[in-house]
Amino acid sequence: MSHRPHHFVLEIVLVALCIALAWIAPGFFSAENLLNVLRNSSMQGIIALGMTMVIIAGEIDLSVGSAVAFAGCWTAYLTGMLTTTLGWPSTISAPVAIVMAVATGLLLGSLTGFIRMKYQVPSFITTLALMTGLSGAAELITNGFPLTPFPEWYNILGGGYLAGIPVPALVFLCVFLCTSFLMNHTVFGRSVYAVGGNAEAARLSGIPVGRIKTAALAITATLAAVAGVLQSSEIMSGTATTAKGWELDVIAAVIIGGTSLSGGVGSVRGTMVGVMFLGVIINGMTLLNVSEYWQHVVRGVLILAAVLLNRVYAGREKNPGVAA
Amino acid sequence: MTLLELQNISRVFPGTVALKEFSARWEGGKIHALIGRNGAGKSTLVNILTGALPPTSGTILLNDAPLRFRSPADARRAGIAAVYQELSLLPDLDVVENVHLGRLPVRKGALPGRVDWKAAERHTRDLLDRLHVSLPLHTPLRHLSVARQQLVEIVKAMGSAPGILLCDEPTSALSYQEARCVFALLRTLADEGVLVVYITHRLQEIRSFADTVTALRDGISAGTTPSAEATPERMVTMMFGEDVRFTRMVDHSPSSSVVLEVRRMTRKPAFTDVSFSLHAGEVIGIAGLMGSGRTELLRTLAGADTPDAGDLVLHGQPCVPQSPAQMKRLGVVMTPENRKDDGLITLLSTRINISLASLDRLAPHAITSRRRERECVTRMQKELDIALSDPERPVSSLSGGNQQKVVLGKWLATDPHVMLLDEPTRGIDLKAKAQMFQTILRLSRQGIGMIIVSSELEELLLLCHRLLFMQHGRITGSADASSTTLETLLARCMESS
Repeated sequence: MSHRPHHFVLEIVLVALCIALAWIAPGFFSAENLLNVLRNSSMQGIIALGMTMVIIAGEIDLSVGSAVAFAGCWTAYLTGMLTTTLGWPSTISAPVAIVMAVATGLLLGSLTGFIRMKYQVPSFITTLALMTGLSGAAELITNGFPLTPFPEWYNILGGGYLAGIPVPALVFLCVFLCTSFLMNHTVFGRSVYAVGGNAEAARLSGIPVGRIKTAALAITATLAAVAGVLQSSEIMSGTATTAKGWELDVIAAVIIGGTSLSGGVGSVRGTMVGVMFLGVIINGMTLLNVSEYWQHVVRGVLILAAVLLNRVYAGREKNPGVAA
Repeated sequence: MTLLELQNISRVFPGTVALKEFSARWEGGKIHALIGRNGAGKSTLVNILTGALPPTSGTILLNDAPLRFRSPADARRAGIAAVYQELSLLPDLDVVENVHLGRLPVRKGALPGRVDWKAAERHTRDLLDRLHVSLPLHTPLRHLSVARQQLVEIVKAMGSAPGILLCDEPTSALSYQEARCVFALLRTLADEGVLVVYITHRLQEIRSFADTVTALRDGISAGTTPSAEATPERMVTMMFGEDVRFTRMVDHSPSSSVVLEVRRMTRKPAFTDVSFSLHAGEVIGIAGLMGSGRTELLRTLAGADTPDAGDLVLHGQPCVPQSPAQMKRLGVVMTPENRKDDGLITLLSTRINISLASLDRLAPHAITSRRRERECVTRMQKELDIALSDPERPVSSLSGGNQQKVVLGKWLATDPHVMLLDEPTRGIDLKAKAQMFQTILRLSRQGIGMIIVSSELEELLLLCHRLLFMQHGRITGSADASSTTLETLLARCMESS
């Protein structure tokens, strides 16, 4: 399950791609550029790790893009409000705002899970509603203009370095280690696979299906809020129009990494590779001056190719759905 | 009058002969029942007659003309239609649409392909009138009872005016009352001259409505008899052969201590006021038909569904089943009837499936341990003799018998006091079946109380200490299995309301 052979295939392709780019793209193989790739991939990557859990659990979260924008704006709004109306110094108001924004993410994710559990509304619908709703809420908070209440040190979170490595990349790595442990070595992770593989069989085995799905959705929404905070720090403002369409990039990375949209199959490690793969491709094309339109086309082709590859390998195992 | 003759029909599959020189002579205008145990070759025969499978040898004669089907379409053109237990209807469409599925009448005119709804409705109305069936034309099927949907299925099959109608257990999910309206319809068809071949497990239905009874035993025709002469004894002999003395396998006595007491358990509409107690080391068989409430009873005892009233006594403590997790903790577990849908997570490995229900023991502090899980797999592999090449491969790569053992192993690993086995031998081969019997007896000797539901009545006689008869959601009696013969058991199940 976590060691499907095609993940190595994708890893080999990734390494080959890096070697090829080092050859043909000027400046690709410099420390600065590689760190740049890492930084650019890390915010979507953080969300993709959570999304992997959600998709393996047989659910989906379409609201993550809007959630990033909303979390950034909400942090900015709260920071500004705490600083001006309560007179708090920004060294206190910004951290408090961050905690509140992340907590809001946790709350929204739990709400999606609760609605899924209690009223059997598919997460596709609830998060579709949230996607529009949060996007509107972000515009309302900011009144359509970027909010810039942040103190200068705030930029460290999204734009700073620690021991030469971009801070968001460190957060990404941290989240990867945590989710990887969670999915591979805990009863929770095992339950996520079971619930997505066959919810009724999981229920009859004594697994609390609703709580597991809710937890996966809540973790992902929390991670989206974390990414939103990092994003607002990088651009030093709360901007409602940022992170448009991220949900699709994130889902694409998860699928390229070998996770099945029908649930029960996939891995956090695969998603990591999927994220890096997309990051390298985009960076390479930018360095080679490929137009942005072409970049979109190539990305589309990649998603399809990765899924086809997945199918070919799944077929070579015995087709699990059909086998007696 | 239609006359269907089958002469020496054989069908060989790699490794098995499903049908051996089967011959029969069926006349139109009559209902011909076809009986036999699971795996006797009934479905193979239906598949040959509908053109889905070619016979390996033999001839089919329709009115003395030989028939040769290259595809199901050929069989349809020859006037053969089939109705199965599984409904092939679209629940959101109404009766008119379902009856005309795939062959809606089209209007001639400027717009090609425009559906002629008036003609479709007229045709449906005529068909229903002719068959003396009354159904609402424009109600989506999901609002009709299963019995009425089954009627729609038959009406749909009659839409192409076939001369021969094959019914493969269309009433097995229906109660006797519900099944009656299906029988009435089939009788109307027979009176019109249609030749009806009716496969059934429910022997008690036969005498009330079929004209002849033909039995299949291990792929061989075991004779045809007029249904008036089809006594339970006669049918048992036809299905099982002259020598129906089974060697009872169960040889130990249950202990005197009660492990589970069920008190006036009710879950509407499946079962009402069920009470009995199960002793340690005892094997109880529930003898009841599909639809009698037997599966629902087991599900409720295992916490999969919640009861409307009544409770259990476990370890001297009363309790009401609320969830599978709760009942698992109390030591009551169930292997479900349908292992692919409810028993296994087929995408995941054997190791994960076997350890899934006992993670609380195998994963201290909620951290999983591959080593402990592998040990658990090895233990169950030895205990249940699971043929396993690699425990990390998806469980779907195993044979049916081994999958069933994995389901059993998953629950055995939780150290239960009571095991509820719903159709534990369904769809598994003979060797796995024999092993399953041995396992059930070994576990009961160790003191586990067992309740078994099986459609194969002879299995219950082999394995059980005691039989509970279940009809229409009620326990109607009990019997000591050692003093019960298959004939009396069958007669008992046949004396229905």
